[in-house]
Amino acid sequence: MKKHQECSKIVLAVCATLGMALAPSAYAASGPIKIGVQAPITGTYADEGQGIERAVKLLAAMQNAKGGLLGRKIEIKVCDDQGQAAQAAICARQLVNDHVVAVIGSYTSGAALAAEPIYARANVIQTSDGTSNELLKRGYKTWFGNAAPNSAEAKFTAHYLVDVRHFKKIAVLTDHSSFATGLAGAVVRDIKADHGNVVDKSFINAGSQNFSPVLTKLKSMHPDVLYFSGYYSDGGLIRAQMVQLGMKAAFVGGDANQNVAFAKIAGSAAAGSIIVNVPAPADLPYPVAKQFVATYKAKYGALPPSVFTLTNADGMRAVMQAIAATKSVKPAKLEAYLHSMKSFQGLTGTFAWSAKGERTGSPFVAFAVQKDGSYKIRYPAPKND
Amino acid sequence: MGTFIQQLINGLTVGGIFALIALGYTMVYGVMRLINFAHGDLCILGAFIGLTTLTSAAGGGHPGAGLLLLAFVVSVIVIAVAGVALERIAYRPLRKADRLAAVVSALGASMMIENGIMLVWGPQVHVFPSNLLPATTWHLAGATISFVQVMIILASLVLMIALYLFVNHTRFGTAIRAAAIDQDAARLMGINVNRVIASVFIIGPALGAIGGLFIGIYYREAYFTMGWTYGLYAFIAAILGGIGNIPGAMLGGVLLGLFNAFAAGYVSSSWQDAITFGLLIVILLVRPTGLLGERVAEKV
Amino acid sequence: MRRAKLGTLIWAAGLALPFALDSSWVSVAAFFAIYAITALSEDIILGRAGIFDMGHAVYFGIGAYVTAILNTTLNIPILLTIPVAMLVAAGVGALLSAPLIRLRGDYLLVATIGFNAIFVLAMQNNPGGITGGSDGITGIGVPTLFGLQLESQSSMFWLDWVALGAVLLLMHNLDGCEFGRALRYLKQDELAASTLGVDARKVKTLAFALGAGLAGLAGTLFAVQLSTVSPSSFLFTESVTLFAIVIVGGQGSIPGVLFGTALMFVVPQIFRGLAEYRYFVFGIAMIAVMVLRPQGLLPRKRIAT
Repeated sequence: MKKHQECSKIVLAVCATLGMALAPSAYAASGPIKIGVQAPITGTYADEGQGIERAVKLLAAMQNAKGGLLGRKIEIKVCDDQGQAAQAAICARQLVNDHVVAVIGSYTSGAALAAEPIYARANVIQTSDGTSNELLKRGYKTWFGNAAPNSAEAKFTAHYLVDVRHFKKIAVLTDHSSFATGLAGAVVRDIKADHGNVVDKSFINAGSQNFSPVLTKLKSMHPDVLYFSGYYSDGGLIRAQMVQLGMKAAFVGGDANQNVAFAKIAGSAAAGSIIVNVPAPADLPYPVAKQFVATYKAKYGALPPSVFTLTNADGMRAVMQAIAATKSVKPAKLEAYLHSMKSFQGLTGTFAWSAKGERTGSPFVAFAVQKDGSYKIRYPAPKND
Repeated sequence: MGTFIQQLINGLTVGGIFALIALGYTMVYGVMRLINFAHGDLCILGAFIGLTTLTSAAGGGHPGAGLLLLAFVVSVIVIAVAGVALERIAYRPLRKADRLAAVVSALGASMMIENGIMLVWGPQVHVFPSNLLPATTWHLAGATISFVQVMIILASLVLMIALYLFVNHTRFGTAIRAAAIDQDAARLMGINVNRVIASVFIIGPALGAIGGLFIGIYYREAYFTMGWTYGLYAFIAAILGGIGNIPGAMLGGVLLGLFNAFAAGYVSSSWQDAITFGLLIVILLVRPTGLLGERVAEKV
Repeated sequence: MRRAKLGTLIWAAGLALPFALDSSWVSVAAFFAIYAITALSEDIILGRAGIFDMGHAVYFGIGAYVTAILNTTLNIPILLTIPVAMLVAAGVGALLSAPLIRLRGDYLLVATIGFNAIFVLAMQNNPGGITGGSDGITGIGVPTLFGLQLESQSSMFWLDWVALGAVLLLMHNLDGCEFGRALRYLKQDELAASTLGVDARKVKTLAFALGAGLAGLAGTLFAVQLSTVSPSSFLFTESVTLFAIVIVGGQGSIPGVLFGTALMFVVPQIFRGLAEYRYFVFGIAMIAVMVLRPQGLLPRKRIAT
């Protein structure tokens, strides 16, 4: 500090006050257990981000009502990353300084990626629905992907399209997002490995709504199925515009299409659409999943915005379970517990984590959208019906 | 052939919507030399107002065509009032300032309206009721066109012709044109420039609200960030046609819609926007003030 | 001159920030320095040359991508990539400006928006497999200086802060030199300037190249700070923010642009507590600032010419 004696007293005073105001409260082992949420609360993905925040806060409140964890209350710290890398990096440092044990989020792979090394260096658990392969590359032991990886979904999808439904001409459509392009690429690769025939791979501009031009082009290629890897707000419209254009092809959508709004947007065209995803809470053999969705709806007056709300909720539940089981908030112990879990009963199916932090063992199913907008498992055939 | 006609229909429908929104940009620009970046958000606010009118007036039942008309009326009135208020608060104090100050004020207004929509209606996708209009479709030469598409194309055309006639063949329209050429001179001629500006901020947003509601009815969804996308496209359409020029905005909107359709349909869907923007830049290099813009030195 | 002295003092005091702030605010300060360089570079084009550039994120992005590609594929040390990043960004800026400068005002503005959209799409489409598509590029290394790894947030902050200092010095000298004067004449009256022998085309192209090159430097620092780059960091909305920073702060005014950066970037960090109300309030604040201070918060002092 000696070097900087020349700086005027005013500046020093300002620095000092700023420093005091911003210095984090001392970390106390007996205080509340802090868990962070890093999510896009504003901006394009605000719907998803606010869903994650609500789900995590709800889970914390439910646990606190039961006396918290290890006799301590759970406190949630939220940081809005707007889905942007730079904001995500700032959020990560902020949450690390808040001494959180674990962070739920973020929603976009890009924001999760920018935050990942910071959490890893600080040894803070990060559980996010990000599925980009880049997230696994550095082998950080703090990383726990809570959504099933694209590779598993792609394998199931290709098998379903080629071997189960015997589609002969498959058209693939994606947007430019990291998630959707990754999934579409993997699906195309796996279809080819299964000796299927991909007639075209096209792109849409997410949110541009005007998908008729690209669909008109696809129509002229006479595919018997259109696979779309992007999000429901576009997927519903794609389905509606397919029918409006008189396209006969079936519609199969990736997991991001599963949302109540899909059927509403597609309207009368929705029925018969297929969506590939992990099982919905209603289809799981254990009641905790159904209960959570009901409580969420009762508290917030709406269903969770998407399946990713639930996968992030699963991340939160797994962290809480780890704390309870190890009776500790030490990162090393929690990470070891999470990595060694044989099977975790999630709200989105039973799963475990690989050494790389990849979600494994998630069974996929193909849902058919019904006339009333509800979903029914179509493949694998339900056992008891 | 069917594919080509279909792309033409696709392009015209979305082009009609772009044109309606572009008119608001171009009229405001013509009179005030202001890029009203909040215009797209006003349009989408119009869609939300219309949706709320529809669902609350229907009271849980299914809204019919009469209610749809009511939704248009309410939405147009509310957005016109909002447009005038915006001008009073955010732009009028800046009329004599550097014009970029008003542009940034407009960016602030855009952010305020967009996030205001999120706070009032929530961040989720809102879905418009289905079957507001007959689901009839016609087939011609292997292409299909729906009732809603015909309605959007025709209504946009009628509104644009009406606006053109109003601006070119009425006394008040003459006042608007005079103010667009030279505000001070217009004032000396006894034209109430404030009234002209207010009228521009009524007509532009009103047309935008209709465009916004068309988007809602056609695509049946609305969410808070949509305004930015449509606003940007409409602004580009206005520039393409020659900003400040009313027929130019119409032409620009329709051309932009067609560019989009043909780029995705015949060239490459992954480079769709790049092709559209590339064409735009090339056109501007050939005609530096847009297709119908006048070649005059810019007022700074 | 007093202003310059005060500025130097404040910059020097800024070096002590890592001792006074916790690491999340040090990273805010580091991003502040990076965005300030970008905003200052935008000011050369927008505020000083009067070219309505609303696609400045392109040059920022080019710098970031050049560093990312060179470092991850060819293992070139970060600091050595800086001149390449600056040169490539400046070259692209000069190249694009050649046709652009023929356009006027708002037409030019739309063309720059177009370049921004094309750039983002190009990065997403992964030409030649070098940009990593929508995922972008990860695993960008840590800069080393004299064998010292600048890995901690504080050392990265110092790197950014020193770079900001260098850019500030350059901007300060710009006012006095012939090129700066030519820019000023041009902005005030292009016709009169050309009669004084100012080659408008050349000066504007130079301004574009200089602004783009400095943005490229900021891009390198951005890539280092995040250790990852992806197309979503260089969207058109980023360009809009940079544009707004210059106007809110005050065109052609160094303290104005710095203050504008603080307002547009640091203030939203402070008001995180507002949660979803944050940008609603921020929008209102932007209108209020412009209405109350149309020349910007700290407008440029009139220099006798």
